[in-house]
Amino acid sequence: MTDKFNPYLFKYAYGVLLRSFSKNLFIFITLTLLVALLSATLFLSSSIKNEYTTRVSNQADIIITNQKAMQYRTFNLNQLQRVLNIEGVKSARGRLYGAYYFEKADKKLNIIALDEFESYSNRLLDETNTELEGASMILSAQAKNLLEEYYYKEYFNFIKENGSLRKVPIKGILKSKDIQKRENLILMRSELFRDIFDMDEREISDISVTVSNPDEVAFIAQKLEEIFPNAKIALKKDTLVVYERSYNLKSGFFLSIFIVSFFTFFIIIYDKLSGVSSHEKKEIGVLKALGWRVRDVLEAKFYEALLLSLGAYILGTFLALLYVYLFNGAILLDIFLSQNDTLHHVAISFTPSIASMILVFLLSVPPYIFATIIPSWRVATTDADEVMR
Amino acid sequence: MIELKHISKYYEKNIKALDDVNLSFKEGELIVLKGVSGSGKSTILSLIAGLTKPSRGEVIVDTKHISKLADHFISLYRRENIGFVFQRYNLIPSLSVKENILLPLLPMKLKKEELERRVVEVTELFKIADKKESLVKNLSGGEQQRVAIARSNVNSPKIILADEPTANLDETLSLEFIAMIEELKSKNRTIIIATHDPLFFNLAFVDRVVNIKQGKIV
Repeated sequence: MTDKFNPYLFKYAYGVLLRSFSKNLFIFITLTLLVALLSATLFLSSSIKNEYTTRVSNQADIIITNQKAMQYRTFNLNQLQRVLNIEGVKSARGRLYGAYYFEKADKKLNIIALDEFESYSNRLLDETNTELEGASMILSAQAKNLLEEYYYKEYFNFIKENGSLRKVPIKGILKSKDIQKRENLILMRSELFRDIFDMDEREISDISVTVSNPDEVAFIAQKLEEIFPNAKIALKKDTLVVYERSYNLKSGFFLSIFIVSFFTFFIIIYDKLSGVSSHEKKEIGVLKALGWRVRDVLEAKFYEALLLSLGAYILGTFLALLYVYLFNGAILLDIFLSQNDTLHHVAISFTPSIASMILVFLLSVPPYIFATIIPSWRVATTDADEVMR
Repeated sequence: MIELKHISKYYEKNIKALDDVNLSFKEGELIVLKGVSGSGKSTILSLIAGLTKPSRGEVIVDTKHISKLADHFISLYRRENIGFVFQRYNLIPSLSVKENILLPLLPMKLKKEELERRVVEVTELFKIADKKESLVKNLSGGEQQRVAIARSNVNSPKIILADEPTANLDETLSLEFIAMIEELKSKNRTIIIATHDPLFFNLAFVDRVVNIKQGKIV
């Protein structure tokens, strides 16, 4: 390849781009924006998909939530024991979580009792490097900012059900980047949680169940339904379906972006394919008359298209990475994950998707190069005499 | 050296440009093809340069059957043998004089020093050395003509073809061009000029004037 590279033709191609500067700048900016938009959408999309798959795979086989008259209720330890007594149940754990309504700010503070949510909360704590001691709490950055707005910098006063105050010192801030941006989250010990919400030691928010034999999940769920006829029993695979449904709905939006981007892109391609301008045509004819072979003309055209499209691809991808990983996909991610979204209260960890980069590359650079080369090839293979007339 | 055997050329809609033309040119000859516009003289130049193919007949240059060569080899033949001066110069206005002159050499991947040497040689020969870096669009008609001739000579071709070279020049500039042609003739180049400019018909160094009328030699 090295001995085939002709630096003079490359320089000539670069000069051609500069000669039609405004036209090429317009194409370059349009291509860059299309690549950036598509890449950002694909990066976000694959991160979300990755997140819900990971979350579901870490989830217990069955989650039981108590309901009465279709209203949420807590379970008690006796009920937990009944679950444990079912044959085939490997383990059953009571979880403790909820939300505190911060009236002054008209905002909800999501609270997780740490010892009950081992995998998730420990993951957050590992990133924070903070020990949660006794009656203290750890906040997400967003929760911290919210409390600071109301001058709670070192502690916060929770108003308990009986109207009394419970002052809780702030021990640390969660370091997880995604959590920081996304939610008002508080981690605390279960004793403190129970005190604030006036829950006795036997109350739990829901029950997570692990089954010894995966093939028996449906059977165990049936048993649970018999024991708790009014409870909501969510299977792991059902949760996946809920996530997927929610995600697929958002994918409609993604699809729209995709279609609009490619519609715009193919207008450019169509314009290119519909032929070269009379000025370009004449230039190709002159070059042929001066002894350029068809392959010399095409090589110069290749460099011209490569410089423009690859430049736009690299810049577009860089902008998309910057937008997704530095600015956490502001706006686009909010559209993907609305406030009511099942995934809204999870930490989205962004991982660069090489497959997405390759896909966008294949959809942008080669089509543009072909769209530039094909009409030039048509002209270059016509009699130079005819082309120059 | 150059032979046109029974050449006929038809363009679209059966427009006949040449009709059974037989013509030969010797090495180092200066020949003027004389005729009105549309007589077919430019077509003869295009056939010799391999810019178009005859509908019938053969073009032979140094025993090579030009009209039968594939496009790739015709380009190589042109690159090595032909220098073409077009009627409207066919320069690229937004490029400098030097860049225009270098165009025929770009695919050859010569060394930078060699390119520079050739540019210096032709720009000095055709007296445009001081305009080397100027953009062609800023040059006068006469200067552009000199750039076109310099470009056609940068590959040291054996054959120089000029199509109505003085059509856009006044008499003074036309005489300047004629002086340049005489200089090239002295270097034993084969020169074929298609023109209807009477200035060329009685020049002492012109070997032959060929009359062409409605696609035939008369």
